Amino acid sequence: MAANASVPRRQWRGFGPAVPALVLLALFFVIPVVSLLLRSILEPEPGLQNYAELFATSTYARVLYNTFLVAFVVTAVSLLLGYPVAWLLAIMPQRYANLVLAIILVSMWTNLLARTYAWMVLLQRTGVINTTLMKLGLISEPLALVKNLTGVTIGMTYIMLPFIILPLYASIRAIDPTTLQAAALCGAGRWQAFRRVLLPLSAPGAAAGGLMVFVMSLGYFVTPALLGSASQMMLAEMIAQLVQSLLNWGLGSAAAFILLTVTLALYAVQIRFFGGMR
Amino acid sequence: MLLTYRHLGGLGVALWAVTILVCLFLLVPIVFIAALSFGSSQWLVFPPPSWTLRWYRELAADPRWLEAALTSAKVGLLSAALAVLLGLMASFALVRGRFRGRGLLKALFLTPMVLPVIVFAVAIYALFLRVGLNGTLVGFVLAHTVLAFPFAVIPIVNSLEGFDKSIEDAAVLCGASPLQAKLKITLPAIRIGLFSAAVFAFLISWDEVVVAIFMASPDLQTLPVRIWGALRQDLSPVIAAASTILVAFTLLVMAAAALLRRRISR
Repeated sequence: MAANASVPRRQWRGFGPAVPALVLLALFFVIPVVSLLLRSILEPEPGLQNYAELFATSTYARVLYNTFLVAFVVTAVSLLLGYPVAWLLAIMPQRYANLVLAIILVSMWTNLLARTYAWMVLLQRTGVINTTLMKLGLISEPLALVKNLTGVTIGMTYIMLPFIILPLYASIRAIDPTTLQAAALCGAGRWQAFRRVLLPLSAPGAAAGGLMVFVMSLGYFVTPALLGSASQMMLAEMIAQLVQSLLNWGLGSAAAFILLTVTLALYAVQIRFFGGMR
Repeated sequence: MLLTYRHLGGLGVALWAVTILVCLFLLVPIVFIAALSFGSSQWLVFPPPSWTLRWYRELAADPRWLEAALTSAKVGLLSAALAVLLGLMASFALVRGRFRGRGLLKALFLTPMVLPVIVFAVAIYALFLRVGLNGTLVGFVLAHTVLAFPFAVIPIVNSLEGFDKSIEDAAVLCGASPLQAKLKITLPAIRIGLFSAAVFAFLISWDEVVVAIFMASPDLQTLPVRIWGALRQDLSPVIAAASTILVAFTLLVMAAAALLRRRISR
């Protein structure tokens, strides 16, 4: 009997110190998020009409399409640009590697608004990029590089690059260089060695980084809001606008729920196949 | 051969070309902002016709910028303190506790890091509208503590896992109370983890924009909110000056932290 009585206590041994944090997260994280999601099926009246409206209204469907399109392009471009950097970074002499890593870290930790502001100025009609291109005679009219999805894509790629490079760098570094030598000894040419050895071995890093960037891009707010336009919104902006300006909490929560579900599903894929976030 | 630096040959040139371009791509906007903040052109002409401190003077002359910076510092310090304190306690439970659902608890503790910020921002905004915490310091601190919490827990858990508990037990055997042993033996031993946790938590709050935009009122704004508001009006060079200060401060904190960490770990 005495042994039985002590079982529940043993099951909670050492749990006590977690209680304050648990209370904080329950009150100010779990409850608000859950009650927000509930509003999507309760307001203005119980039912799924908010979701139906989101998918049926072309404006909202367009926003969903834009969001996935931008996230996809940003991920693809970041992978293409990031792969060579991560590759060289993994094998270059340490003193150069330290410098490149420092640049990546500084850029990562520079305030998001400051970086976005830089792109707003650089990309505007009278900005450095347009004036330079015009001076070079490459274009006669300034290009519309900002207040559209082009601007959003450039700005987001800039922000996401470090998140691709770092995991890729880690996974390429972990590859034993002798496997590549073995490939060469067995008669593989450079292209074949790349395609059949290096690429498959670094694929988990690329997939993990790519998935993370894709997920982060889906929910991005600041950069699309500043570099994009109201007519080509992305999902996070739409949620903010529905809630803050239009006070349409039902629809806003439904959009938030879609974002949340996609995000968590993709993270689950990542944890399942690539062993969690490193 | 593809992973041997010396044998890259022509491929090495191509890889270097991309790497240098990407590094420039990452670095140029930051340098550009700093240059503009000292440039005399109201219209952000680059390169600037001449150099001036005018935008910094304008910044200093407007008390709202200073207030915003103070609010940012206050919110950052309070959130970091709270996140580290709760994170420390939670870490003891995560590392030493033997209870069911420990993995689940850890997952919950890390969720604020992976949840899209906009979802949390809207959710906490809704709650705080109801309980009247929007536009208050308490509201800011609570929201930022939630966001900073995972970044505090990770380094503390890591360093606590690397600490040999038998040393703490030895102190207890020698007559220290369990609390004394924790305060005098364990905490000093994991100080680097605590320190990293504090720095990360502070910087998360200091740089946070999205939740802050929802939380702010005209009377209570953090520095990023103020920059956000200004950006939506025009691209004045004053924003470049404010951004430069914000970035310089972040880099300063990181550099100081790196130095201090080296000193503590000796």
